[in-house]
Amino acid sequence: MKYLIMCEGPNELEIVKILLENDLLLFDKDELLNLIPYHARQIDKSPAVQLALNIYPGEVTVLRIGDGLTEKLRIPNKYKDKIIAVEKYCTKPELEMLLIIAENLLDEYNKVKSAKKPKVFAKEHIQCGHQKYDNSTRFYELYFGRNPLLLAASIKEYKRKHGSHKKEERYLADLLK
Amino acid sequence: MKLLRVVASYFKNCRDNFMIDLISKSKRTSEDKEYELHEIDEGLYVYNTVAFVGKNASGKTTAVELLDCCYSILGEFRVENKTYQYDHVTLDIIFYHEGMIYRYFTKLEADASLENKAVFTDQHIFQKKYYKSRSKSVYDERDFKEMEDLGSLPEDTSIVFFVLKKKQTRALYFDSEGKGASTYQLLFKALRNYKISTEVLADIIHIFDENICGLQMVDDNNYKLLYKAEQKIVSDTELVHLLSSGTTKGILLYTMAAASLQMGFDLIIDEIENHFHKTLVENLISFYKDKMVNRNKAALLFTTHYCEVLDLFNRRDNIWISKSKEKVYLENMYENFDIRTELLKSNQFNSNAFDTAVNYEELMNLKRKLME
Repeated sequence: MKYLIMCEGPNELEIVKILLENDLLLFDKDELLNLIPYHARQIDKSPAVQLALNIYPGEVTVLRIGDGLTEKLRIPNKYKDKIIAVEKYCTKPELEMLLIIAENLLDEYNKVKSAKKPKVFAKEHIQCGHQKYDNSTRFYELYFGRNPLLLAASIKEYKRKHGSHKKEERYLADLLK
Repeated sequence: MKLLRVVASYFKNCRDNFMIDLISKSKRTSEDKEYELHEIDEGLYVYNTVAFVGKNASGKTTAVELLDCCYSILGEFRVENKTYQYDHVTLDIIFYHEGMIYRYFTKLEADASLENKAVFTDQHIFQKKYYKSRSKSVYDERDFKEMEDLGSLPEDTSIVFFVLKKKQTRALYFDSEGKGASTYQLLFKALRNYKISTEVLADIIHIFDENICGLQMVDDNNYKLLYKAEQKIVSDTELVHLLSSGTTKGILLYTMAAASLQMGFDLIIDEIENHFHKTLVENLISFYKDKMVNRNKAALLFTTHYCEVLDLFNRRDNIWISKSKEKVYLENMYENFDIRTELLKSNQFNSNAFDTAVNYEELMNLKRKLME
C-alpha cells in the first residue's frame, strides 16, 4: 500500500514537502505514491495524479490536505478498487493559522477573527526578514524551510487549540511523528 | 538557453511559415505551474512536455525533425547528416538565453562538397532584454535590435555561435528506427559524456530485465553482461538479440532521458509508443512533469499515435495535431479547436474531433478487394 498525498494548494504542498524533507512525518518518501506529494484537488482533473496511479499496481490510501476540504473527492471508476481509503487532514479556516501560531499571534488574532480572515491578518502582521506575507509559496519556503521544527510545533499547537474539527476531519498533527 | 519558437519555410513538405511555439498560451493554474510548465524567467513559462499527434504521413516526424534542426544550430552551430534537403530552407528561430531574447534568421543551402551538411546564408541575429512586464509580447518585433559586426565564421557555422559561444547538447533526437548494434556504443558514450553513474544504468536495465544486474563495456564491440549468478561476454550484435531490440532501444532511451533530466537538455522522441510498454511511456512522461526529478528544466517533445497519452496532459496548448493537404501543417489543440475541456482528450481524438481518424472508406475499399 502507498499513500497518495493530495494537497489542495501549492502552499499546503510546500508545507508537506518541508515536513517530508526533514523526516517529521509518520512515513517517508518510499511510502508515497511515486515518491512525492501532489498538488491536486480532484483525481479526474489531475493528469499528474492519474499518471502516478497508473504506474503503481497496488492499493492506495489518499491523504487529502487542505483548509476545509468541503468538496467531495470523486474517485474515477478505473481507480475504485485501487483506492482503499480517503482521509482528510484540515487546517481550518485557513493555512495561515500555522503562521499566526508560529508568530505567537493567536490571542491577538482571536480578538478580530469574526471580522478578519487569517490570510488578511497574516498579510498585515507577518513578515520574514524584509518580506511581508504575500500568500506565496516562496514565503512558506522561506519562513518554515529554515525552521521545520517551528512548523511541526505550530501544527501540534493548532491541534491543541482547535479541538473542534468534525469527526472525519483529522489534524495535520496526526501525520507527525 | 531555451528554444521558444521556430517558423520555417521550404522545410521538407511543410507549408510556408510552419510554426511551433513553445511558450504557454492558455491560462496557467497553480497545478499547471507545478506539473506542466517551467518558469525560465519571471513570468516566462515554457512546456515540460509537448506532443504531436496525427494520422500516418501527416507530418508528425517533420515537426520533430524541424525542432531537431533548430537544436542542432543552437547546440552545435551546424546542421549536418540530416535525412532531408537543406536547399532554400528559411528559419526564424526565437530563443531565450541568460535574461535576453534572441531572434535568429537564416537561409540554409546544401554544402557544395559531397558532405551532408548545410551552409548558412542571409543570417541576421537580433536581441532584446526580457522584462516580466513584457512577457506577453516576447515576439514583438519592434524592440529587437540587430547584433552587428559579429565577425566571420566558416559558412557551415551559424552566427548563433557569437551568442552561445560554446558547443553544448541542447537536445537529443530519437527517431523511430533505433540504432541496432551500435546502440550500446552510443549508450556508453552517453554514460561518459553526460556523467551518468553505472548505478543508474543498472537501475534502468533492471526495469527492462529483472535478471540482469549490470552491463560493462569490454571494448568497442564486446560487453560483459552481469546476471545474479553468472557473467557473459557477448558482442554488440549478440547483445541486441539476447536483450531484444525493444529492450535495447528502451535502455538507450531511458539512459538519454536520465542524461536529459540531469543536464537539463531536451529530449525529442519520434513515436514514443514504439519504444516500450505503456507504463514505461507514462513513467517517462511523469519524470518530466515532476520537479523533484526534472530539476534542470528539461522538456520531453514527442510524436505519438497513442491518443491515451494526451489524457496525461492537463493543458491543450502543448498538443499539436499535424495535418497534410498537399503540404504539411500544424494545428494547436488550444488555439484551433473549440472542444469541451471536461471530456477526455483521447475520447475526442477517437471520435474524430481533430479530423485525425483513419479514412473508413479507404479501409473498406481494401477489405472489399480482399473479399473478392
